[in-house]
Amino acid sequence: MGFFILLCLVPLLYLFTTIWKRAFTGGDKSCYILDYECHKPSDDRMISTDISGDIIMRNKNLGLNEYKFLLKAIVNSGIGEQTYGPRNVLEGREECPTLDDSLEEMDDFFNDSIEKLLKRSGVSPQEIDILVVNVSMLAVSPSLTSRIINHYKMREDIRSFNLTGMGCSASLISVDIVRNLFKANKNQYALVVTSESLTPNWYTGNDRSMILANCLFRSGGCAMLLTNKAAMRKKAMFRLNCLVRTHHGGRDEAYGCCMQRDDAEGRLGFYLGKDLPKAATRAFVDNLRVLAPKILPVTELLRFMWIRVLKRLNFGAAKKGGAGGAVGGAAIDFRTGVDHFCIHTGGKAVIDGIGTNLGLSEYDLEPARMTLHRFGNTSASSLWYVLSYMEAKKRLQKGDRVLMISFGAGFKCNSCLWEVMRDLEGNNVWKEFIDNYPVKKIVNPYLEKFGWINSEEESTFKMPESLSHK
Amino acid sequence: MPTTMHRSSSKLKLLKLAYQYVVNNVMTLILTLGMVAVSMHLYRAGPEELVAMVQSLNVSSVQVLTSTFLVVFVATVYLMSKPRTVYMVDYACFKPPFTFRVPFATFMEHSRLILKDNPKSVDFQMMILERSGLGEETCLPPAIQYIPPNPTMADARAEAEQVIFSAVDDLLKKTGVSPKEIDILIVNCSLFSPTPSLSAMVVNKYKMRSNVKSFNLAGMGCSCSPISIDLARDLLQTHPNSNALVISTEIITPNYYQGKERAMLLPNCLFRMGCAAILLTNKRRLGSRSKYRLLHIVRTHRGSDDKSYRCVFEEEDRDGKVGISLSKELMRIAGDALKSNITTIGPLVLPASEQLLFLASLIGRKIINPKWKPYIPDFKQAFNHFCIHAGGRAVIDELQKSLDLSAEHVEASRMTLHRFGNTSSSSLWYELSYIEAKGRMRRGNRVWMIAFGSGFKCNSAVWACNRNISGRDDGPWADFIDRYPVHIPEIVKL
Repeated sequence: MGFFILLCLVPLLYLFTTIWKRAFTGGDKSCYILDYECHKPSDDRMISTDISGDIIMRNKNLGLNEYKFLLKAIVNSGIGEQTYGPRNVLEGREECPTLDDSLEEMDDFFNDSIEKLLKRSGVSPQEIDILVVNVSMLAVSPSLTSRIINHYKMREDIRSFNLTGMGCSASLISVDIVRNLFKANKNQYALVVTSESLTPNWYTGNDRSMILANCLFRSGGCAMLLTNKAAMRKKAMFRLNCLVRTHHGGRDEAYGCCMQRDDAEGRLGFYLGKDLPKAATRAFVDNLRVLAPKILPVTELLRFMWIRVLKRLNFGAAKKGGAGGAVGGAAIDFRTGVDHFCIHTGGKAVIDGIGTNLGLSEYDLEPARMTLHRFGNTSASSLWYVLSYMEAKKRLQKGDRVLMISFGAGFKCNSCLWEVMRDLEGNNVWKEFIDNYPVKKIVNPYLEKFGWINSEEESTFKMPESLSHK
Repeated sequence: MPTTMHRSSSKLKLLKLAYQYVVNNVMTLILTLGMVAVSMHLYRAGPEELVAMVQSLNVSSVQVLTSTFLVVFVATVYLMSKPRTVYMVDYACFKPPFTFRVPFATFMEHSRLILKDNPKSVDFQMMILERSGLGEETCLPPAIQYIPPNPTMADARAEAEQVIFSAVDDLLKKTGVSPKEIDILIVNCSLFSPTPSLSAMVVNKYKMRSNVKSFNLAGMGCSCSPISIDLARDLLQTHPNSNALVISTEIITPNYYQGKERAMLLPNCLFRMGCAAILLTNKRRLGSRSKYRLLHIVRTHRGSDDKSYRCVFEEEDRDGKVGISLSKELMRIAGDALKSNITTIGPLVLPASEQLLFLASLIGRKIINPKWKPYIPDFKQAFNHFCIHAGGRAVIDELQKSLDLSAEHVEASRMTLHRFGNTSSSSLWYELSYIEAKGRMRRGNRVWMIAFGSGFKCNSAVWACNRNISGRDDGPWADFIDRYPVHIPEIVKL
């Protein structure tokens, strides 16, 4: 009898302990986004088609073949006429960037986004407990985190981390740091600042694989305020459900496909290799493999497994008979677990590729395409511009799930799922001009202005006064 | 007179020792007294009376069960809610090849040739080198040994590969851990940050798993090692059964100042090659053979004060050459940062006796007489070994004075500065290695690592030694530890 009682006590003990943990030891350690602010640089930094022409002409290393290549790249990139560039390039000083120029570009962003964010959310800088900054291609001493701490006079015991070199997928890595710190510490505010430094990294040579970066990367940034205070749940915009990171650096082809290095003449540039799409797809598939079971409903997973089984059986029949025929729709449907897709605006090819892989419609891809058109590839912060677009278009309702997918040098693929906590109105960087979007398909302005280059021959080509004069 | 003074000072010492012993062990004393009293009573009572006492309690089995249940429950909750212990399995430091050494003569010759139009700058460098506390065997990477140096990105990458891979290879061999078992990777290097990052470079070389959590910290100065360990510790709290590899280094190649501004030439004289790789874990299985256990990390950031922020600053000189300028108030700022750090770490590590004295002096100054000198707690009571960032001779002197440390306490820092120079964030690990190589590390010893860095930050890490460490370790000091300590003169005449 006594032994029986003892036996019953064991599961009771376990039950008690779980209840205790949930109820008393701060069970809710979720990561919430309270607010975020994307940066819109001042209009005098816009790179229009005319300015693009001037910039290209200034580079004496380029000839007709390079012009043709550049035209094709820009037309295919999906970039519009209102993206923003670094001030030194617009003022003609891309050959000799100074440290002050780089810091000025960062200060422009900090003074805009962080200022607005803190004011709107009502959180004072002294309340920030964690600060994570990720800017891939600028490492100064003292770090940019120290720069922000100095400017806003933050506390002495702030935990700051400055990430660099982690590519276009770094903002999700910063969120990963914050998420882990939130689990280990209660009641914290975290400020995540993500951007890219273009000033010192404008390529001035003629290596085609490196000039591509000049056509795609544009200035931008985003500052986000996160918290794990349960009391802030009502005010929060999003909650993080899960985050998956995949690192394919172990494969040499993935590691070497996009890399910062010197060209043959010793000029520093960002090399984008031809096998980048393949590396990206591999990393993406691996990431999805881990992500799918975490975010999709069980019914979808079962359906997918059933179809795979059928396919295998059918394949067996096909081997024998030869007239097997595919069991249609073997791709897994992510829309059962995700309502909106935030895709890194790496370029038109990236967006198209993901759209095909996941079977997404034009409606799903519209935010990414429009962001690429309006802001270009702002590197790590691009996801947040895409999110802002959805918000401005009033697509985000309470309970919706948003999937963010990003790729970066290394080669990494990082993704995460956010749950919308309340209906969002969209008072953000897109607000002024959201009604102009989506842009209808018209003739590409670059093709319009510079299309004549395609008909020129090398032997008869004479450098005109200005590229747009024809 | 001297004998009476001697007697009274030794009496004072005895009194102080007695006070410390009583206050620090107050709980043990009370418990021992209690146990003595109870055992005496029991002895007098005799066995039959004891049995009668137990039977008279008249507890039913239900009460016994519920009370055992409660005890077990409370114990389980306590054990489960304790933060996971973070162990340092082992660490390895980069051993620069002898061919990379830069004796004073080489350094001055290069300096005279490169700065031939600026004799004043050459004299300045000579003056700094004479008083620096560096020895003749510190090392610079090959790209910097050209006249003039013309480092490319490929050179910088090559240096990074050499120092990092060498240290990591060493570490993996010592610990027997395979790269596929690494779950978390943190690399910190202040002034070189290529894309893909150095962490991606490590993942690529060692073919780590695709779900490794990698982080690359940069720009955080010489105090970045405790910052990386801090991040690793929090990650290890949320990832059970994991290993974390932390790599601290500074890549010299792209950062050699090529101009002539004096304040910026100073780092050229002090910074040298180095790298440390550390393996942390929260696996119990590895815990028993780990060298150290992490006790505390305290970070202090003085960036809100403008002078502190600007005291170590990377900027361009008048000719557009990038270098790090060090302000003249560096020592004062370091002292202030240290004071802030001590204020936080003191209550965590000091024994009760010191804390009481500090509290008493604080109360006394506030209430009785503000003119009393503030009591500086004796940190030698809390720690057996000190690893002070070998930032320069002045830093070590300053800390020795303010913490009232003996020459033996700062010996590791001075000897590391002499043999390896200022290796930035990895210097703490060379110093720890020195203490181990000298056979001074015993189980239970506590080590205090203090690092300063740009920002201005002061970060501390406190470790407890987990097992006896024999000096016959194959560390960076192995080949020549018997030559040390050496006497470092105030000024070496060049």
